[in-house]
Amino acid sequence: MGYRRFSTGRIIEHWIAILTVLVLIVTGLSQKYYYLEISQWLILQLGGIDTVRWIHRYTGLVFIILTTVHIMMAIIGVVFLGWRPSMLITKKDFLDAIQNIKYYLGITNIPARCHRYNYKQKFEYWVILTGAILMASSGLVLWFPMTFTRFLPGEVVPLAKALHSNEALLLFIIIAIWHVYNAIFSPDVFPLDTSIFTGYISEERMQKEHPLELMEIKEKEKETAREVSTEGLLEDLGERPLS
Amino acid sequence: MPPLRKEGQVLIIILTALLVISSAEVKAEEKGNYQCLACHSKREIIIEFENGETTSGYVNPEEFEESVHSDLRCEDCHREFQEGKHPKRSFRSLEQYRRTMAINCRGCHLEEDICTKPIHARLKAKEGVLTAICMDCHGAHSIKRVGGGEIFESEKRYCMNCHSRDLRMTFYNGDPLPLRVSLVEIEQSVHSKLICSDCHRWFSMEEHPERHFRSKRDYVIAQSEVCKRCHFDKYSKILESIHYRLLAQGNSRAPVCIDCHGGHDVAEVSQNKAVLLQKCRNCHPDVYNTYLNSIHGRALIELSVQDVPICIDCHRAHDIENPLAVEFHERIPEMCGNCHANKALMKKYGLSTEVVKTYLSDFHGVTLGFYKKQRETLYKPMRPIAVCTDCHGVHDISSTRYQDRETIKQNLVNRCRKCHTEANQNFPDAWLSHYEPSLNRAPCIYLVNLFYRIFIPFMFIGLCLQIVLHIWRYAVNR
Repeated sequence: MGYRRFSTGRIIEHWIAILTVLVLIVTGLSQKYYYLEISQWLILQLGGIDTVRWIHRYTGLVFIILTTVHIMMAIIGVVFLGWRPSMLITKKDFLDAIQNIKYYLGITNIPARCHRYNYKQKFEYWVILTGAILMASSGLVLWFPMTFTRFLPGEVVPLAKALHSNEALLLFIIIAIWHVYNAIFSPDVFPLDTSIFTGYISEERMQKEHPLELMEIKEKEKETAREVSTEGLLEDLGERPLS
Repeated sequence: MPPLRKEGQVLIIILTALLVISSAEVKAEEKGNYQCLACHSKREIIIEFENGETTSGYVNPEEFEESVHSDLRCEDCHREFQEGKHPKRSFRSLEQYRRTMAINCRGCHLEEDICTKPIHARLKAKEGVLTAICMDCHGAHSIKRVGGGEIFESEKRYCMNCHSRDLRMTFYNGDPLPLRVSLVEIEQSVHSKLICSDCHRWFSMEEHPERHFRSKRDYVIAQSEVCKRCHFDKYSKILESIHYRLLAQGNSRAPVCIDCHGGHDVAEVSQNKAVLLQKCRNCHPDVYNTYLNSIHGRALIELSVQDVPICIDCHRAHDIENPLAVEFHERIPEMCGNCHANKALMKKYGLSTEVVKTYLSDFHGVTLGFYKKQRETLYKPMRPIAVCTDCHGVHDISSTRYQDRETIKQNLVNRCRKCHTEANQNFPDAWLSHYEPSLNRAPCIYLVNLFYRIFIPFMFIGLCLQIVLHIWRYAVNR
């Protein structure tokens, strides 16, 4: 079975993200590249440009809610519930990156030893999170241009369009190349990194990819086991009838 | 010998002169006409009738000599008059006189003979008896041979025999139709090679049917149907036009071929746009006046610039669409693009061709492009999308070159509000006024685009390199 890596909440969150992002990419890129034959075909198949725009906007709304909930939960979790801010970028991540590149180039034979999230995952997380904020805010400007120009100069509308359109391509490239490679095609996980769907990761992979986390877990386990065994011993003693 | 020769010459001249004089005398005496013409070749002779009407007693000798009756004598028709006999007669009116004279024609031209000609047969059938006065159509002393192609070398001449006169007909509603046709006009028209019956199909040298029309307008509309015999391509276009649709709905004021191209004076279509404009002006004077004040109209009238669009460039000449239809509205960028996307043409006037491109790649242009496609396959979106004319005006298009920014902006706000009712003063700036972002115009947008143009390939290459390195290391490890 391995180790529990993601809670049910995270699994649902990822599923929603997959679906909304897919819809957003399909309906968004076909609008960005409206002049391509395939885009025109797709838009007409989906019921016309107006329908595609409404699908894009409402899916965007779901995505905005998802992002907001994610950020709120992270803040509440870290500040009030004592969650470990494991996604924060630290100095070690830069050192890890350098170490790993050295490893890839054959300069050293020791790959970087990472904690719960490695530098690649952190990089992807932050690019996507900032991208999501950028996409959400520029998307809202494009959805409600009249409301925003009431207190902002008119130029924010074409600016939002430029940002939305360019950032979309950037995020698409990162997801399509980097995330899909790391989660599907990478030899480490091929044919699929199932941990985000099942919630569990194998010990072998933990050993290889998250050795520091595994070490910590094992230490914790030892501590609890010691506590459990002492308690169990006492219970055993307590429950044992006197002979 | 020379003196003899001279004498001979004189003799010949004298003999010849005698011969000529005698023969003329003989001819005149023979006919008795010489005597009559002695007085009647003078223009002063006036004959008066009882009712006060007068007519000229003048006879043109040359015309008479050329007439078909040139070998008749005066008394053959004017029977009461003979050599030395010139009785005084009195008639109530000119018409009574002419009717009396016309009876004399029957002496040679029997009624049953002339009624073999359809036109006479018709006239007789209409009233029971032939009441028309022969001279009204055939003339009196200048009478020419009818038909047979001897005098009338063409059908045109045959028809002109009557239609060069001031004849007129009246339609049921009282509209007069002058039947006089100017041959000069026809000869100068593009149809100079055609003959009358090519267009007036029911008529020929044999046939002259009676046709019935309520009004002159009805006649003009019916006559325009004839044009399609040759100009079928134009006719099929007209079938799709708003003018034809109006006509089919019963609006007889809708124009037909003749209204724009004329009838007998149909001319080659003018190459001068200022002239072409006038055709539409007849029915659309308001639009014409508005157009004259537009940048295009002024360039045409004041500077004779022929590159400007006139009515038919946008509305077309024959397949004129309903300009209020959404389909027409959606084609406007295409129409403006015909000139404003033409680099060579725009360079002449220092205008940018970016205007069309920037429009088509922006929100309105993209939506419009899809609406046009969807119209064919999906549903018909009725929401109108702003096109060139919605901001620049329709017939009153003016140049933005000499207007100050504030005026343009204020106008633009008003235009935006037509659809975006809540638009405020800032809203028009959402549109970059056909400018591509650059360091001078919309620098923020230019820099954002530039950043991503560098950053996206950088990221792409970087990530790919990582992947390649990762796979390579994996392979090495195995």
